[in-house]
Amino acid sequence: MSKTKTRSHKAEKVIERMGEKLNRQIAGSMIACVHCGMCIDSCHYVLANPGDPTYAPPYKADRVRKLFKKHFDWTGRVIPWWVKAGSVYTDEDLEELKDIVFGKCTNCRRCSINCPMGVDFATFNRMARGLLVSVGVMPEGVAVVSKDQWEIGNQMGVLKEDYLETLEWMEEELQDELEDPDVAIPVDKTDCEVVYSINPREVKYDPRSIADAAKIFHAAGESWTMPSEGWDMTNFGLFSGDDLLGGSVAQRLYEKVSELRGKTLVISECGHGYRSTRCEGPNWAKYDVPFEMESSVLTMLRYIKEGRIKVDKSRNTAPVTFHDSCNNARSCGLFEEPRELLNLVCEDFREMYPNRTENYCCTGGGGAMSMSEYTPRRLKSASVKANQLKETGAEAVVTSCHNCVDGLTDVIRHYELGMEVTQLVNLVANALVIEEKVAVPVEEPVVAEPEEAEALPLAGRTILVADDEPDQVEFLATVLEDNGATVYRASNSDEALEQARRVKPDLLTLDLHMPGRDVGEVFEIMRKDPDLEDLKICVITGRPELRKLIYDRSVRRPEGYVDKPVDEERLLLNVRKVLELAHEHEEAAP
Amino acid sequence: MSDLLHFSEHTLQEVALVFMVVVYIARITWFLRRFKAGGERQAPTGRMNTTKAKGILYSWANIAMPWAMESTRTKPLMYVQFAVFHIGVTVAIALSFVIPYWPTLLDSPSLVVLLQILIGAACLVGLVRLVRRVSNPYMRAISSPDDYFSLTLLTVWFFFAVLAVPNSAANGEWHLITYFIMTAFFLMYVPFSKISHYLYYPFTRYYFGKSMGYRGVYPLQHG
Repeated sequence: MSKTKTRSHKAEKVIERMGEKLNRQIAGSMIACVHCGMCIDSCHYVLANPGDPTYAPPYKADRVRKLFKKHFDWTGRVIPWWVKAGSVYTDEDLEELKDIVFGKCTNCRRCSINCPMGVDFATFNRMARGLLVSVGVMPEGVAVVSKDQWEIGNQMGVLKEDYLETLEWMEEELQDELEDPDVAIPVDKTDCEVVYSINPREVKYDPRSIADAAKIFHAAGESWTMPSEGWDMTNFGLFSGDDLLGGSVAQRLYEKVSELRGKTLVISECGHGYRSTRCEGPNWAKYDVPFEMESSVLTMLRYIKEGRIKVDKSRNTAPVTFHDSCNNARSCGLFEEPRELLNLVCEDFREMYPNRTENYCCTGGGGAMSMSEYTPRRLKSASVKANQLKETGAEAVVTSCHNCVDGLTDVIRHYELGMEVTQLVNLVANALVIEEKVAVPVEEPVVAEPEEAEALPLAGRTILVADDEPDQVEFLATVLEDNGATVYRASNSDEALEQARRVKPDLLTLDLHMPGRDVGEVFEIMRKDPDLEDLKICVITGRPELRKLIYDRSVRRPEGYVDKPVDEERLLLNVRKVLELAHEHEEAAP
Repeated sequence: MSDLLHFSEHTLQEVALVFMVVVYIARITWFLRRFKAGGERQAPTGRMNTTKAKGILYSWANIAMPWAMESTRTKPLMYVQFAVFHIGVTVAIALSFVIPYWPTLLDSPSLVVLLQILIGAACLVGLVRLVRRVSNPYMRAISSPDDYFSLTLLTVWFFFAVLAVPNSAANGEWHLITYFIMTAFFLMYVPFSKISHYLYYPFTRYYFGKSMGYRGVYPLQHG
């Protein structure tokens, strides 16, 4: 007796939409695999999980391929068992597929370039993600980030006022640093040579990179601007497989640049942002871009080659290595220019092996950083990257990708490699020789005398440092005290809450992983406590995936965020930003 | 020559060949008409000296450049197996045309030995591949009945091809008849099996190479 299996509405839609998504390249990849196994050990998940075939690229690909065979291929339709064709029937089937396409692959494309048949698994894995997203089956983080990018216009939900305020703040910092009140970060200036687009992560966690870029544009005498809207060059559509989102986000940026009549859109260092904006966006949006687009890596290199900026590599003496972002190297051919630039601005550049198109993923790619449920799996697979990094003997790893910055930071912390992660923009800015400054007498560093304490930047501020790592507490407290703050300490979440209520500090630096009550819960309690209404909170964590503990809550978000490992400069910048001191200083100025 | 052998060498082969061609044409037509090729609107990226055309050529030539990909560069034995196996397939197929239409070519004893060595080596590789597919947990996990059957079919077919090379019926015709019947079956089965990969290979490599060349990824650079 034959029994027809019923299919859930979602499963029905997945099959139906698959037919619409298949193009010749993807269909070819579905048919042409011969299961030769040559690609298997090109995958970092496989290398880190020996003996587990479920991570093998062809195994993962077959979870998607079986649908193609069952519904579109001749043999699979007639004798499905012969070619392992199959379908999805229930929502549980879709959840299983989700676990594979989101949780066991970062779409790094390393298997694709190692396939003798030219099967591009990464591309159809992305298609499968898109199919699942279209029926609402996706990791929670993907849903949250996609929602922010649809609704707010950027993937981190940065509000326009926060963005503009950060630009103003960085402009002031730069004016102070260069002692030049004319240095500007122009916004919405029309007819510029360069329109500079950034990653919202820069606004939220790494504003220094905006200032560094501005410093370089200023030194080069560039006519440039940043858009007030549509400034986010990242695109979660690449990760979620949602072409509609991808097209919409890309078009928003393209239209803004056109509106400003910019000649070149310069994309800050971000692998997926560069690939999405430069390569995929016009195709998703079906939009013929009327201006040029380039990575800021190319822009900086061009400035040096054209003599528009001068650099002194002796300012970057620490040994550095370079991590090729998968999206830059394997999807956009951007791998020689960063090296050329590194050799110009660093004294000791060491290659990591393998590199360029054969480099391993940072393990945070494909949106993995937003999928906290897969974090243990991701960190285990990162052993491959950790070994690569360790073997270089470098003190810092440079990458042209913000996603990789987060991914590598996690890897370095997890495997205790003690390395810094930085970007080319930071190194170029540090190596920048600004002629005008040579003539300015260098002031002696001011030694803080007790009677001069009022002049210290954090003088009069009370800060509560909550962290369970004694070394970390001491470091933070010392830096803050040296800058004039009165510091209190807490080593667990309950103590942090108790101290906050008792001391009522101006600022709480909050580690997200501490003993005691759930830190997210404590955060919410503080936010809802009317006595702590004025308390500013700066999250300091080495586990970015824990952000959702905070950001998912329907209370005011933290005012600041700093990734561990923390350096003094970044800590102070963020603390001052949170306490709005930069703004106050401006007001206080005569 | 018996009627059965004659039928196997000629009529059966011709029917099988026509069948295969018809099915192949139908498959290619379906592939090209059902699925549209995606295009790229953006300006090219990467090194200035890479183009779509170079990418396509590089992609097609990839098969003959074991040093190009890490997967073949680091597994030279696998590449040798691949080469031997596919040379064996080509020779064994050619044999099915030589015996009926140009039998005098096999009058040369040295050529016979050469062909037997080539096909015999392929048969050996087939066995090695079968063992690998069965014993390696990764290979087992990704293999379908079609994978096992296709490999077994080809390996056995090689064996009979080795016997058929001298084109001698001195010790009976069974080996020749088996070889030709298997060839006919092979021709008719191929379009429905993984063995038809060579039909799609030029397309997958073409599109992947076109994109990778346009984006400056091909020729691959590594260190």
